[in-house]
Amino acid sequence: MLAFKVENLNLWYEDNHALIDVSMDVPRNQVTALIGPSGCGKSTLLRCFNRMNDLIPKTKITGKILMKGDVEIRDPSVDVVKLRTDVGMVFQSPNPFPMSIFDNVAYGLRCQGIKDKKQLSATVERSLRQAALWDEVKDSLQRNALKLSGGQQQRLCIARAIALEPSVLLMDEPTSALDPIATAKIEDLMQSLKQMYTIVIVTHSMSQAARISDQTAFFLLGELIEAGPTAEIFQVPKDKRTEDYISGKFG
Amino acid sequence: MNKARRRKDIMRTSVTWISASLAVLVLTSIFVFVFKRGAGTFSWSMLKDDYWSKNYLVAFGDVAANDFAPPDTDSEDEFFSRKFGFGLADSVDKENNQLMLVTTVSALSPLHEGTITTAGPDQGKVMAIPLNARIRRIDYLDQENNVKSTGLLGQDHSAEGAIERLEQEATAIREIYFQSTGGGIRGSIIATLMLIGLTLLFSLPLGISAAIYLHEVAPRNKVTDWIRAAVEMLAGVPSIIFGLMGVSMLFRVTNLFGITTQSVLLGSFTMTIMLLPLIMRQTEEALIVVPGSLRMASLSLGASTTQTIFKVVLPNALPGILSATLLSMSRIIGESAALIFTMGTAISDSPKISQGATTLAVHIWTVMAGEQPNFELATAISLLILVLVLGLNVTVKLLTYRINKKWQV
Ligand SMILES: Nc1ncnc2c1ncn2[C@@H]1O[C@H](COP(=O)(O)OP(=O)(O)OP(=O)(O)O)[C@@H](O)[C@H]1O
Ligand SMILES: [Mg+2]
Repeated sequence: MLAFKVENLNLWYEDNHALIDVSMDVPRNQVTALIGPSGCGKSTLLRCFNRMNDLIPKTKITGKILMKGDVEIRDPSVDVVKLRTDVGMVFQSPNPFPMSIFDNVAYGLRCQGIKDKKQLSATVERSLRQAALWDEVKDSLQRNALKLSGGQQQRLCIARAIALEPSVLLMDEPTSALDPIATAKIEDLMQSLKQMYTIVIVTHSMSQAARISDQTAFFLLGELIEAGPTAEIFQVPKDKRTEDYISGKFG
Repeated sequence: MNKARRRKDIMRTSVTWISASLAVLVLTSIFVFVFKRGAGTFSWSMLKDDYWSKNYLVAFGDVAANDFAPPDTDSEDEFFSRKFGFGLADSVDKENNQLMLVTTVSALSPLHEGTITTAGPDQGKVMAIPLNARIRRIDYLDQENNVKSTGLLGQDHSAEGAIERLEQEATAIREIYFQSTGGGIRGSIIATLMLIGLTLLFSLPLGISAAIYLHEVAPRNKVTDWIRAAVEMLAGVPSIIFGLMGVSMLFRVTNLFGITTQSVLLGSFTMTIMLLPLIMRQTEEALIVVPGSLRMASLSLGASTTQTIFKVVLPNALPGILSATLLSMSRIIGESAALIFTMGTAISDSPKISQGATTLAVHIWTVMAGEQPNFELATAISLLILVLVLGLNVTVKLLTYRINKKWQV
């Protein structure tokens, strides 16, 4: 089963051709890592999946992204707001809202118009548990989220995203602002989350990609060079450029 | 460093120092001046009194004489009536007219319970003769029950004479005719508050939504850039021109509400337009400080643009919007030129939205523009204005400091 099927995707920022004819599959309930040197279009592709690129003026997109097999996500009939509740996103630096921990996690639900207190607190607890943050914050749900540590904030952002029960979780370098211990926690978390969610993660750490991902896609200057099961890409890359990048010869 | 360079350095620093200390000196002297001249006149009764003195005829229903103890402070100029428990003193007003002022009223004196008989809305109400009331005439009954009068309009023209006659002849007081002191600024305070309220009511929703539209909703293009530039230019227009525009153009708008004169409403319309640039600028600045990552987070959680604005952007821009409000208030309090045209210069003791009135600043203008400038009152009002404006500005500074600290992560 596929979460996304990307077909001949092209994207321009004004005249900057940032994604060139990208075609790839994102399988369901697996971790797919997007790797490649800075500026190769990883974040751009990630933002295509939840249409955050819509917010950037003067972008042009051609090609298709099919979700769950048949829905073209840029089709006019697709409700962006609904798409984003189904495709959650975690950003590079933790960005909790300056409100309480509880309100942060409940934010998405409340935007859906859900007011029922019981339902809200049940979801908040479930999400925080899934994000492995519950034990640390269960006694201080009313504390301001900005008072948490960086690693806790990032897990809160994950909890906030999964509170909406999305089918896909997009993560753009989620651990680049964190120390090794917090990073390890988030990596563990991803392993357990992939039971329920499809995860697409952008990372600059080869070891992280190797450790956590099932699929890996390597990009260079907007082009998809090679994609496949992580073990294959790391052990027997087909393309010379992939091999060079993975072994640290450039990038 | 060679000598010539060092000399130049010293010269430059001293120039900076001299101009800086000059600025501080001017600022302090303004304060010292206003405080010294104004503090003497400044009083609670000034804040709560009418500006215009009013004539009152108050009846006491022939209340009989009693015996009151004179107050401990026995001054040379004050004369006390033991029969009715009040003191009088002679005085003169600004135009050198003779006055007879009430200086004390004993706690149980019948003077506390008069009934207003002057025709008007207050007729029939109970009224106490206030301190400093200007007594014109006191009607009393003598031993033969004849009605007689004393006071400036009666038989005696001095406090001493009037009190002496009451003590010798009077058996009861029938009526007192007096003038209230006046010279207060209550009306202008109310007018200022009304103007602030109305202006904020119109300008905040307009300015804030315009800023939100420009910064959060509208695409960045030539048109919005042009709107921004126009707003900036509006900020540089002198207020007297806004005043002119108010009387000539906005006047027609207030006309639609049936208002045919200068009015508080017209003033608030004019101030609204004047303050729009300030509010828009301040709000936009407050919006700019809200990190873009929060908007991204909100949108990525399936919030609509409107939800993002109202749930995330605005709450975080609130302190900035609050300081825009406070700054606007201080601008309204300090404004005069635009209001002289649009609200007039006639001081009103009971201002109405549909009528002309003076704000505190214009009140100063009015009392100084007459034949006999009332310098004491003018500085006392200045004192009030300075304190208010300074307080508002300090609050804004504190707010800004807190906002900056909040996003300094
Ligand atoms: N908002 C934008 N507006 C215009 N051009 C952009 C924008 N975002 C990215 N680009 C351009 O698109 C190209 C790809 O950028 P992208 O951010 O997707 O790279 P990336 O692979 O995520 O890099 P990094 O690893 O540094 O995050 C770059 O050339 C970049 O300059
Ligand atoms: Mg990136």
